[in-house]
Amino acid sequence: MAEPAEPAAATPFAEEALTHLDTLYRGALRLTRDPDQAQDLVQEAYLRALRYQHSYQPGTNMKAWLFAIMRNLFWDRFKGSRKEDVSLDDTGDFLLYEKLKDEGAKPESDVLDKIAVSEVVDAVEQLPPLHREVVLLVDVEGFSYKDAADTLGVPIGTVMSRLHRARQQLQKSLYDYAVESGIVRANGMRQVSQS
Amino acid sequence: MKCSDCESKLDRYVDRELNNTEALQVQLHLEGCPDCMDHYDFESKVKRLVKHSCECDTPPAFREKLRQLLS
Repeated sequence: MAEPAEPAAATPFAEEALTHLDTLYRGALRLTRDPDQAQDLVQEAYLRALRYQHSYQPGTNMKAWLFAIMRNLFWDRFKGSRKEDVSLDDTGDFLLYEKLKDEGAKPESDVLDKIAVSEVVDAVEQLPPLHREVVLLVDVEGFSYKDAADTLGVPIGTVMSRLHRARQQLQKSLYDYAVESGIVRANGMRQVSQS
Repeated sequence: MKCSDCESKLDRYVDRELNNTEALQVQLHLEGCPDCMDHYDFESKVKRLVKHSCECDTPPAFREKLRQLLS
Protein backbone atom coordinates (compact mmCIF):
# COMPACT_ATOMS: atom_id res chain seq x y z
CA MET A 1 0.00 0.00 0.00
CA ALA A 2 1.36 3.36 -0.97
CA GLU A 3 2.22 5.88 1.68
CA PRO A 4 -0.39 8.60 1.88
CA ALA A 5 0.69 11.77 0.22
CA GLU A 6 2.20 14.38 2.50
CA PRO A 7 -0.51 16.88 3.35
CA ALA A 8 -0.13 20.14 1.52
CA ALA A 9 0.31 22.07 4.76
CA ALA A 10 3.63 20.41 5.60
CA THR A 11 5.46 22.89 3.47
CA PRO A 12 8.38 25.22 3.96
CA PHE A 13 5.76 27.92 4.20
CA ALA A 14 4.18 26.28 7.25
CA GLU A 15 7.56 25.68 8.81
CA GLU A 16 8.59 29.27 8.35
CA ALA A 17 5.25 30.48 9.67
CA LEU A 18 5.75 28.43 12.83
CA THR A 19 9.04 30.20 13.55
CA HIS A 20 6.90 33.24 14.37
CA LEU A 21 4.61 31.37 16.75
CA ASP A 22 5.93 32.99 19.94
CA THR A 23 5.26 36.45 18.56
CA LEU A 24 1.72 35.52 17.59
CA TYR A 25 1.01 33.76 20.86
CA ARG A 26 2.36 36.64 22.94
CA GLY A 27 0.32 39.11 20.94
CA ALA A 28 -2.83 37.01 21.16
CA LEU A 29 -2.38 36.46 24.88
CA ARG A 30 -2.01 40.16 25.58
CA LEU A 31 -4.91 41.07 23.28
CA THR A 32 -7.37 38.48 24.60
CA ARG A 33 -5.93 38.38 28.14
CA ASP A 34 -6.91 34.73 28.22
CA PRO A 35 -4.65 31.74 27.41
CA ASP A 36 -7.44 29.58 25.97
CA GLN A 37 -8.78 32.36 23.77
CA ALA A 38 -5.23 33.16 22.72
CA GLN A 39 -4.64 29.60 21.56
CA ASP A 40 -7.95 29.56 19.65
CA LEU A 41 -7.07 32.84 18.01
CA VAL A 42 -3.57 31.75 17.04
CA GLN A 43 -4.79 28.43 15.69
CA GLU A 44 -7.41 30.15 13.57
CA ALA A 45 -4.83 32.65 12.36
CA TYR A 46 -2.47 29.89 11.21
CA LEU A 47 -5.23 28.02 9.44
CA ARG A 48 -6.25 31.20 7.68
CA ALA A 49 -2.62 31.97 6.82
CA LEU A 50 -2.28 28.57 5.17
CA ARG A 51 -5.50 29.05 3.28
CA TYR A 52 -4.35 32.41 1.96
CA GLN A 53 -0.67 31.70 1.64
CA HIS A 54 -0.83 32.58 -2.06
CA SER A 55 -1.39 36.18 -1.01
CA TYR A 56 1.87 36.26 0.93
CA GLN A 57 4.73 37.70 -1.10
CA PRO A 58 7.93 35.73 -0.42
CA GLY A 59 10.72 37.92 0.83
CA THR A 60 8.39 40.30 2.62
CA ASN A 61 7.86 40.42 6.37
CA MET A 62 6.06 37.18 7.22
CA LYS A 63 5.93 37.96 10.93
CA ALA A 64 4.06 41.19 10.22
CA TRP A 65 1.78 39.43 7.73
CA LEU A 66 0.88 36.74 10.26
CA PHE A 67 0.38 39.25 13.04
CA ALA A 68 -1.95 41.24 10.81
CA ILE A 69 -4.06 38.13 10.18
CA MET A 70 -4.19 37.38 13.88
CA ARG A 71 -5.12 40.90 14.97
CA ASN A 72 -7.74 41.20 12.23
CA LEU A 73 -9.33 38.00 13.50
CA PHE A 74 -9.18 39.42 17.01
CA TRP A 75 -11.01 42.54 15.90
CA ASP A 76 -13.59 40.48 13.97
CA ARG A 77 -14.30 38.47 17.09
CA PHE A 78 -14.15 41.25 19.59
CA LYS A 79 -15.37 44.18 17.55
CA GLY A 80 -18.08 44.78 20.10
CA SER A 81 -15.34 45.88 22.46
CA ARG A 82 -14.25 48.72 20.21
CA LYS A 83 -16.30 51.02 22.40
CA GLU A 84 -13.63 50.79 25.05
CA ASP A 85 -11.21 52.30 22.56
CA VAL A 86 -12.92 55.60 22.25
CA SER A 87 -10.41 57.63 24.16
CA LEU A 88 -7.19 57.54 26.01
CA ASP A 89 -6.81 61.23 26.55
CA ASP A 90 -7.99 61.54 30.12
CA THR A 91 -4.53 61.50 31.61
CA GLY A 92 -3.33 64.58 29.73
CA ASP A 93 0.41 64.83 29.47
CA PHE A 94 1.93 62.44 31.95
CA LEU A 95 5.60 61.60 32.09
CA LEU A 96 6.61 59.24 34.85
CA TYR A 97 10.18 60.50 34.73
CA GLU A 98 9.12 64.10 35.27
CA LYS A 99 6.68 63.08 38.00
CA LEU A 100 9.30 61.15 39.93
CA LYS A 101 11.87 63.89 39.42
CA ASP A 102 9.48 66.53 40.73
CA GLU A 103 8.70 64.42 43.73
CA GLY A 104 12.28 63.78 44.70
CA ALA A 105 12.59 60.07 43.95
CA LYS A 106 16.28 59.67 43.14
CA PRO A 107 17.49 58.06 41.07
CA GLU A 108 14.22 57.90 39.18
CA SER A 109 15.02 54.61 37.50
CA ASP A 110 15.37 52.80 40.85
CA VAL A 111 11.60 52.95 41.12
CA LEU A 112 11.32 50.82 37.99
CA ASP A 113 13.42 48.09 39.60
CA LYS A 114 10.79 47.71 42.31
CA ILE A 115 7.78 47.33 40.04
CA ALA A 116 6.66 43.72 39.73
CA VAL A 117 6.53 42.13 36.30
CA SER A 118 2.88 41.19 36.85
CA GLU A 119 2.03 44.84 37.43
CA VAL A 120 3.63 45.84 34.15
CA VAL A 121 1.66 43.15 32.34
CA ASP A 122 -1.52 44.37 34.03
CA ALA A 123 -0.76 47.93 32.97
CA VAL A 124 -0.24 46.82 29.37
CA GLU A 125 -3.40 44.71 29.40
CA GLN A 126 -5.44 47.60 30.76
CA LEU A 127 -4.63 49.68 27.70
CA PRO A 128 -7.44 49.84 25.15
CA PRO A 129 -6.67 47.23 22.45
CA LEU A 130 -6.00 49.81 19.72
CA HIS A 131 -3.22 51.24 21.85
CA ARG A 132 -2.16 47.95 23.36
CA GLU A 133 -1.39 46.41 19.98
CA VAL A 134 0.98 49.27 19.11
CA VAL A 135 2.91 48.74 22.35
CA LEU A 136 3.04 45.02 21.64
CA LEU A 137 4.40 45.53 18.15
CA VAL A 138 6.91 48.31 18.83
CA ASP A 139 8.03 47.70 22.42
CA VAL A 140 7.63 43.96 22.85
CA GLU A 141 8.28 42.68 19.32
CA GLY A 142 10.62 45.44 18.17
CA PHE A 143 8.72 46.35 15.00
CA SER A 144 9.71 49.55 13.24
CA TYR A 145 7.02 52.22 13.05
CA LYS A 146 6.63 51.43 9.36
CA ASP A 147 6.20 47.70 9.91
CA ALA A 148 3.74 48.41 12.71
CA ALA A 149 1.83 50.80 10.46
CA ASP A 150 1.71 48.22 7.66
CA THR A 151 0.59 45.53 10.09
CA LEU A 152 -2.18 47.65 11.52
CA GLY A 153 -3.17 49.28 8.25
CA VAL A 154 -2.75 52.83 9.56
CA PRO A 155 -0.38 55.72 8.75
CA ILE A 156 2.94 55.96 10.60
CA GLY A 157 1.70 59.13 12.28
CA THR A 158 -1.15 57.14 13.83
CA VAL A 159 1.31 54.58 15.16
CA MET A 160 3.35 57.36 16.72
CA SER A 161 0.40 59.11 18.32
CA ARG A 162 -1.11 55.88 19.65
CA LEU A 163 2.26 54.83 20.99
CA HIS A 164 2.78 58.16 22.70
CA ARG A 165 -0.59 58.08 24.38
CA ALA A 166 -0.25 54.43 25.29
CA ARG A 167 3.09 55.08 26.96
CA GLN A 168 1.66 57.98 28.92
CA GLN A 169 -1.23 55.84 30.12
CA LEU A 170 1.10 52.97 30.90
CA GLN A 171 3.41 55.20 32.92
CA LYS A 172 0.43 56.66 34.76
CA SER A 173 -0.68 53.14 35.72
CA LEU A 174 2.83 52.28 36.90
CA TYR A 175 2.97 55.47 38.92
CA ASP A 176 -0.38 54.75 40.56
CA TYR A 177 0.83 51.27 41.41
CA ALA A 178 4.10 52.64 42.82
CA VAL A 179 2.14 55.00 45.06
CA GLU A 180 -0.41 52.38 46.15
CA SER A 181 2.28 49.87 47.00
CA GLY A 182 4.43 52.36 48.88
CA ILE A 183 7.33 52.34 46.44
CA VAL A 184 6.94 56.09 46.27
CA ARG A 185 4.87 58.49 48.32
CA ALA A 186 2.71 60.99 46.50
CA ASN A 187 3.00 64.74 47.00
CA GLY A 188 6.44 65.89 47.94
CA MET A 189 7.59 62.36 48.39
CA ARG A 190 10.80 60.60 48.94
CA GLN A 191 11.38 57.20 47.61
CA VAL A 192 10.92 54.71 50.39
CA SER A 193 12.59 51.37 50.57
CA GLN A 194 10.53 48.23 50.52
CA SER A 195 11.30 45.87 53.35
CA MET B 1 19.90 71.49 20.22
CA LYS B 2 17.70 72.65 23.09
CA CYS B 3 16.44 70.29 25.78
CA SER B 4 12.89 70.78 24.49
CA ASP B 5 13.98 69.69 21.00
CA CYS B 6 15.70 66.66 22.48
CA GLU B 7 12.60 65.83 24.49
CA SER B 8 10.38 65.97 21.43
CA LYS B 9 12.62 63.44 19.66
CA LEU B 10 13.26 61.16 22.60
CA ASP B 11 10.56 58.60 21.77
CA ARG B 12 11.89 58.20 18.24
CA TYR B 13 15.47 58.11 19.48
CA VAL B 14 14.63 55.35 21.98
CA ASP B 15 12.82 53.49 19.20
CA ARG B 16 15.72 54.05 16.77
CA GLU B 17 13.43 55.78 14.33
CA LEU B 18 15.40 58.99 13.72
CA ASN B 19 17.49 59.39 10.61
CA ASN B 20 21.26 59.37 11.08
CA THR B 21 21.60 63.15 11.21
CA GLU B 22 18.84 63.59 13.78
CA ALA B 23 20.11 60.68 15.85
CA LEU B 24 23.59 62.19 15.93
CA GLN B 25 22.22 65.55 17.01
CA VAL B 26 20.32 63.92 19.87
CA GLN B 27 23.35 61.83 20.82
CA LEU B 28 25.59 64.88 20.97
CA HIS B 29 23.05 66.71 23.11
CA LEU B 30 22.71 63.76 25.48
CA GLU B 31 26.46 63.53 25.91
CA GLY B 32 26.54 67.13 27.11
CA CYS B 33 23.31 67.18 29.12
CA PRO B 34 23.08 64.92 32.19
CA ASP B 35 19.40 65.75 32.73
CA CYS B 36 18.37 64.67 29.25
CA MET B 37 20.67 61.65 29.49
CA ASP B 38 18.90 60.65 32.72
CA HIS B 39 15.58 61.00 30.96
CA TYR B 40 16.77 58.95 28.01
CA ASP B 41 18.05 56.20 30.31
CA PHE B 42 14.71 56.18 32.10
CA GLU B 43 12.61 55.89 28.94
CA SER B 44 14.89 53.16 27.62
CA LYS B 45 14.51 51.30 30.87
CA VAL B 46 10.72 51.55 30.73
CA LYS B 47 10.79 50.13 27.20
CA ARG B 48 13.00 47.23 28.30
CA LEU B 49 10.77 46.64 31.32
CA VAL B 50 7.67 46.39 29.13
CA LYS B 51 9.40 44.02 26.73
CA HIS B 52 10.82 41.83 29.47
CA SER B 53 7.53 41.72 31.37
CA CYS B 54 5.39 40.80 28.36
CA GLU B 55 7.69 38.14 27.00
CA CYS B 56 6.45 34.60 27.26
CA ASP B 57 6.91 31.47 25.24
CA THR B 58 4.22 29.42 23.60
CA PRO B 59 3.13 26.49 25.77
CA PRO B 60 4.94 23.40 24.35
CA ALA B 61 1.73 21.35 24.19
CA PHE B 62 0.02 23.99 22.09
CA ARG B 63 3.05 24.32 19.82
CA GLU B 64 2.98 20.58 19.22
CA LYS B 65 -0.76 20.54 18.63
CA LEU B 66 -0.44 23.33 16.10
CA ARG B 67 2.48 21.67 14.37
CA GLN B 68 0.45 18.49 13.95
CA LEU B 69 -2.54 20.44 12.74
CA LEU B 70 -0.44 22.09 10.05
CA SER B 71 1.23 18.87 8.95
